[in-house]
Amino acid sequence: MKDAIPEPIPVTVLTGYLGAGKTTLLNRILTEDHGKRYAVIVNEFGEIGIDNDLVVGADEEVFEMNNGCVCCTVRGDLIRVVSGLMKRKGRFDAIVVETTGLADPGPVAQTFFVDDEVKAKTRLDSVTTVVDARHVLDRLGDSREAVEQIAFADQIVLNKIDLVSPEALAGVEAALRRINPLAPIHPVMRSAVALDAILDRGGFDLDRISELDPEFVNASPGPTHGEPGHVHDEHCGHGHAHGDHAHDHVAEAGIAGVSLSLERPLDGTKVTGWLNTLLAERGPDILRAKGIIEVKGEERRLVFQAVHMILEGDLQRPWRPDERRWSRMVFIGRNLDAAELQRGFEACAG
Amino acid sequence: MVSFDAYVTAALFDRTGAVWALGDGTVRFEGGAGVEAHEGAVLCAAPHPSGEGVITGGDDGRLMWSRPSGAVQLADAGGRWIDAVASSAASGLMAYAAGREVRMLDAADPGFSRSFGHGRTVAGLAFDAKGRRLATATYGGARLWWARIAEQKPVELRWAGSHLDCAFSPDGRFLFSSMGENALHGWRLSDGKDMRMGGYPSKVRSLTFPGKGQLLVTSGAPGAVVWPIAGPNGPMGKEAAEIGYTEGRLVTRAAAAEGSGVIAAGCDDGRVWTADLASRGVRHWREPSGSPVSALAITRAGRLAWGDEDGGAGTAALA
Repeated sequence: MKDAIPEPIPVTVLTGYLGAGKTTLLNRILTEDHGKRYAVIVNEFGEIGIDNDLVVGADEEVFEMNNGCVCCTVRGDLIRVVSGLMKRKGRFDAIVVETTGLADPGPVAQTFFVDDEVKAKTRLDSVTTVVDARHVLDRLGDSREAVEQIAFADQIVLNKIDLVSPEALAGVEAALRRINPLAPIHPVMRSAVALDAILDRGGFDLDRISELDPEFVNASPGPTHGEPGHVHDEHCGHGHAHGDHAHDHVAEAGIAGVSLSLERPLDGTKVTGWLNTLLAERGPDILRAKGIIEVKGEERRLVFQAVHMILEGDLQRPWRPDERRWSRMVFIGRNLDAAELQRGFEACAG
Repeated sequence: MVSFDAYVTAALFDRTGAVWALGDGTVRFEGGAGVEAHEGAVLCAAPHPSGEGVITGGDDGRLMWSRPSGAVQLADAGGRWIDAVASSAASGLMAYAAGREVRMLDAADPGFSRSFGHGRTVAGLAFDAKGRRLATATYGGARLWWARIAEQKPVELRWAGSHLDCAFSPDGRFLFSSMGENALHGWRLSDGKDMRMGGYPSKVRSLTFPGKGQLLVTSGAPGAVVWPIAGPNGPMGKEAAEIGYTEGRLVTRAAAAEGSGVIAAGCDDGRVWTADLASRGVRHWREPSGSPVSALAITRAGRLAWGDEDGGAGTAALA
């Protein structure tokens, strides 16, 4: 009789536009001496110059499950490859999924929540987006996918920083931050990021939601940006760093982070109902969300994370006596109305 | 009872006895012989049409024929995974799927080869009873091919969603597919009429036909699910029955043999049981091992073979 259920295999998704440096990073994951064996699922088979039986080619096949529900869009090839890899149990410790440069990360991530078998055997660890410091602003201007890959990330590897000036780099970081206020940015050259900064991050793990800092998020411009009539000049309240010319395109794509906070405790039933309704109605536009909530009459923190319509929430550890008790959440999505969200959020006060 | 220390991909019977195909690339025979067939994992297996040994597809892209004396390569898909394989003793044909391509081979004619292209990756294959037609399951539906014809336009059976495995009813009137959406789908082949067969709490991995082919028995529920498929409308408008229902458990594999009224089920806790469809009496053959049953087979003569995700395996004689 086996005792415990085997630990699910962690899965890291590696995304980023063509030429950003994903392949270099993958080669490092495969060859560096880190004591772990990674199975790598790649789309452009030829690019990895390594003969390794744990490198698997997959044709990206996006499937609509459950009669075309947008948020049940999954990667059918991943379901098949993951189930095949599970037959080789014990021969690798973790899985890395490389997406094509033009991939929407949503279906990749959703695969690990929607398919029961994949969900039982694996655990989505985090999404890493590799960005080319020199070209990313152009990509943000002409590619919806590039914006979504950044919006979706748990961490961003800002690569090739030796090819831009410090001022331009600051502009790039500001642009990335506006799209995704949650993901740490790792500025590097030649994809030389410390691997422990991108592997085993627990980006979807409720227990690892420790801090959310809405003030930090709000330091970036809110979604009022991009509204008709908004003039981008020195009075509009955000820094206009050099190299920030993609700003208008990002605003057009409408993807930005919105953060909400409240110092009063919330009614548990109301806030759960509000979140469920919000994600059911706006799920297609909400790429990622995370929150820590103070529930009235509850000693533990209520934490949640969401990918589009898929919401996971749970009571986490108790509030510490010396801890500031407050509720805060961050949504990263398309055309989100911060004022409306804040009103809905405040209406949940207990 | 045996232990193989590798995922059991398939359990089946050839002329000599039980055979297991494993996640470490080996094929093990009940008599004790073991053959290293693949460099990676065995992904799928079927009996060789001759009744001697098994054919297996692997993640090394090879199709192998293993007998206790050794393994020979039948085909090489150039590194692409071979995800599905099917065979027909009646026609001597073997089919395998690698990505979007299905290839047909003839066990009696090494020079014979057919290739059937698809727009999507092929997840499941099935021959009809005579081995003349091949059904292929993909995302969005299934296709019917004449097994020996080189140039043809297949019959397209469309149904939205991801189709995994497929099986013809023994009389060839229906095609059933299991779907990624925890449901079965059926088509009446005379007029292409769709049959929705839902209500499953998990994916269905086994589609099997006991007795005279008037019932379809599947896995994917707390008990074995039995659909009546006799009559002109097959399962349409009829209720499925559940045999061996156990609260909180899941039947992960089911097996049946033509001409036998005994069905077998393997569960997610490692249990294996059989049930006589006439008396509905359930007999247990294996205690819970803690590892889900991943492979199961039963013969008409009442021999049973199983395997689980952690390499536990065994056989039993029902009589």
